[in-house]
Amino acid sequence: MVDRWLRREDERLLTGAGRFVADLRVPGCLDAVFVRSEVAHGVLREADCSAARETPGVAGAWSAADLPGLPPMPDTRQGEATREWPSLVKNRVRYPGEALAVVLGDDRYRAEDGAGRVLVRIDPLPAVVTAEEAAGDEVRLFDGLSNVALHGEAGQPIDDEVWERAAVVVESDYRQQLLMPSPMECRTILCVPEGDRLTVWSGHQAPHRLRSDLARLLGRPEKSIRVVVPDTGGAFGSKSAVFPEFIVVAWLAERLGRPVRWIEDRRESLLVATRGRGQDQHVRLAADADGRLVAYELTVEADVGAYPHLGVAFPMQTAWMATGPYTTPQVHATVRSVLTNTMMTYPYRGAGRPEATSPLERTMDVLARRLDLDPAELRRRNLIPPEQFPYRTPTGRVYDSGDHLAALDLALRTLDYDGWRAEQARRRADPGALPVGVGLSCYVERSGGERGSLHDYVGVEAGEDGGVVARCGASSSGQSHATVFPALVAETLGVDPARVRLVEGDTDELPGGVGSFGSRSAQIDGAGLQHAATLLIEEARERAARMWDLPVEETAWSDGAVHPVRGTAAMGLSELVKRTGPLRIDERYEADMAFPFGTHAAVVEVDPDLGTVRVLRLVAVDDCGRALDPAVVRGQAFGSVVQGLGQALYEGVPFGDDGVPVLGNGLLDYLLPTYAEIPPIELGETRTPTPRTPLGAKGAGESGCIGTPPAIVNAVADALRLDHPDRLQMPLTPDVVWRAAA
Amino acid sequence: MKITLTVNDEAYPLDVEPRRVLADALRDDCGLTGTHLGCEQGVCGACTVLVDGEAVRSCLLLAVQCDGVPIRTVEGLAGADGEPHPLQRAFSAERGLQCGFCTPGFLMLAAGALERDPALGEEEVAALVGSNLCRCTGYEPIRRAIMRAARDHRNGQEA
Ligand code: FES
Ligand code: FES
Repeated sequence: MVDRWLRREDERLLTGAGRFVADLRVPGCLDAVFVRSEVAHGVLREADCSAARETPGVAGAWSAADLPGLPPMPDTRQGEATREWPSLVKNRVRYPGEALAVVLGDDRYRAEDGAGRVLVRIDPLPAVVTAEEAAGDEVRLFDGLSNVALHGEAGQPIDDEVWERAAVVVESDYRQQLLMPSPMECRTILCVPEGDRLTVWSGHQAPHRLRSDLARLLGRPEKSIRVVVPDTGGAFGSKSAVFPEFIVVAWLAERLGRPVRWIEDRRESLLVATRGRGQDQHVRLAADADGRLVAYELTVEADVGAYPHLGVAFPMQTAWMATGPYTTPQVHATVRSVLTNTMMTYPYRGAGRPEATSPLERTMDVLARRLDLDPAELRRRNLIPPEQFPYRTPTGRVYDSGDHLAALDLALRTLDYDGWRAEQARRRADPGALPVGVGLSCYVERSGGERGSLHDYVGVEAGEDGGVVARCGASSSGQSHATVFPALVAETLGVDPARVRLVEGDTDELPGGVGSFGSRSAQIDGAGLQHAATLLIEEARERAARMWDLPVEETAWSDGAVHPVRGTAAMGLSELVKRTGPLRIDERYEADMAFPFGTHAAVVEVDPDLGTVRVLRLVAVDDCGRALDPAVVRGQAFGSVVQGLGQALYEGVPFGDDGVPVLGNGLLDYLLPTYAEIPPIELGETRTPTPRTPLGAKGAGESGCIGTPPAIVNAVADALRLDHPDRLQMPLTPDVVWRAAA
Repeated sequence: MKITLTVNDEAYPLDVEPRRVLADALRDDCGLTGTHLGCEQGVCGACTVLVDGEAVRSCLLLAVQCDGVPIRTVEGLAGADGEPHPLQRAFSAERGLQCGFCTPGFLMLAAGALERDPALGEEEVAALVGSNLCRCTGYEPIRRAIMRAARDHRNGQEA
């Protein structure tokens, strides 16, 4: 049966034949277990591994002192090597869970036996976990250096006069709480040295980057390392870097000449996996009496974790996107990134755009209330109209295209906005009824990457057997690449999709690659594959023209075959390859960033006495331009909305006074949404293709994390008729809501 | 300790430490890696298998507790002739999986429930789906898949 499996990935994943890193069996492989700090900040006095080494089944145990040559984490920022991030703590612990020693055992049980015998002594120091606390520099993470690691801004400062003259100015404070990306498969790495080669298996978003990082750290040629990404159990941004544990494992595998793996467990993941968001924000929004926005100012204090890394500059994403989907003439955003005693913050699905959308959209609702305007009407008056694209924002982005009003209108219709407003009025008149609230959120995101990562390797090759191989630098962690990309190439070539197969996620099989992050795969790799397939057609026509002694214009391409414009003798790809030799296109495809957008809407019912929130309805209207496979895009959009629901209502990382996250009961403390929390969710689409590639696809899959949280929070504020929403900070637990309602 | 795990009708004589968790014995000693570990604390359900027909978290059971008891894992879900289980077909058709990491757990959970009660209703299915975690799909496609499989299962039995 041909149609038994909708996706190519399905059969193996549904029959237990999937291969994730932890499923790979390599004889003689050692399991790594890390001894981790129980304090957030302190001076390491001792990490004595001698008893661990005597433990049966333990192959070795080391602290930093035992491994003098162990390379530190690479600093992704230039000229800032003064704040070193050692792969194992040398003398200062800077975040809870930071690795103090590593134990290798014949299996995980033995390695944990050994880890339990490592003697550790740490003199605790006071810990700082919020940007505000840390920015004062009373407790310094690096002696003699400020905790403030970066100042940045986007747009021009706004004159006092503008605020003074505006009819209305709203000011507010918001917290974008720390979130755990929480793919169901935690991080993995398996390093297998063989001769002068090192094969690295890892569930990873950017295999080529991992290869170049490891090559540099281990001081060996890139070609001597092969990185392979097998099945990967979700990533959501959290699997795109090299991590201290990866460096230790790779270094030991190389030194010992033995396979070593690290399979992160959930307990360590909740302590030391990268976290997302983590911003304290202050906003000012000014409008004239008609509700036209005149100025917006966003001040971001980002808690970026203990070591300068990509996370330090990442809040600039928020600053650049601060303008949102509105025509506000003056926008100014400032960022201060502050080191704190936590694992680093890093991109998590949405990555910088949720933090831009949430404060603006929440403040729009406050402004509407202040002006006594319907929130939908306020937005309608300010959304960038379609004819103004490309639109240059005051914060330096050039939006490619958009029809924001269409998305807003579709969302309102799908929700039955007017019907819910009537229901709200009805309930307000009935003292016995629980209040309902309606919340909107219009967003715009950036997809594809930043300058320097807007390209990828793509290739298409036709074989003598009639098969076609598509290659690209993307790396799937559940996004259906093996189904979607071959279908796209097949459509371009006019051949049966079954003939096309995808190769990705293996550095030996690809001349290069960037990876999958920032919603770039469909937009960049997809457009690239289409382009490569088009080049293959051109090459086929040229070869046929030479063979037939015709001008190229006298040849044409249809249904996977080249033929003379006049005449019928068509030649398929396999025949052409047999006659003219290998036919392979390898390209570096580059495109510009694009700006997906949409409107999300929520209806909630709140019990002010209990502080509970029941989401009655969620509507998500997204526009990602051309959708390569609409069902796949919808699947990701839906999952993304549920992650957004998680941020709004459930997920967060609470800290104890000692700076250690209070997540001792694992996933019983970190509340991922379950099916019991899923409200009726309806998805809608508008389609505005990006003019920046012939394909027209913009990034997809992150929208729910961006648009949904403020829609829900706005709905709760609306239900409670809060004039000032500062008290409603995510996650909206019953405690938070009850206090806000009181 | 010497035990015999009977998994998918095959006998695996093993010599395991008493502390060895069933999930590890299945994955590492029997080589059945379709059973996944997402939390090792009984919350996510990725490790769900059927022990004596009942869905259990294999990360919370010791291998020695299962000596001689019939166990089924995702590798044994398809029919003997290789014909996919209605659940496997339904998960694909309803797009009940993206990365596929949580999938074996949901499949076995639902398989156990369907075998016990082929007439699974909306509420039972909702309770089932609510007992495991998935970070990709948002659950609704999983719910639809189980409902569809229940329908197909009933139709298959009537036919
Ligand atoms: S691994 Fe067993 S419940 Fe999560
Ligand atoms: S499909 Fe990825 S966790 Fe469920």
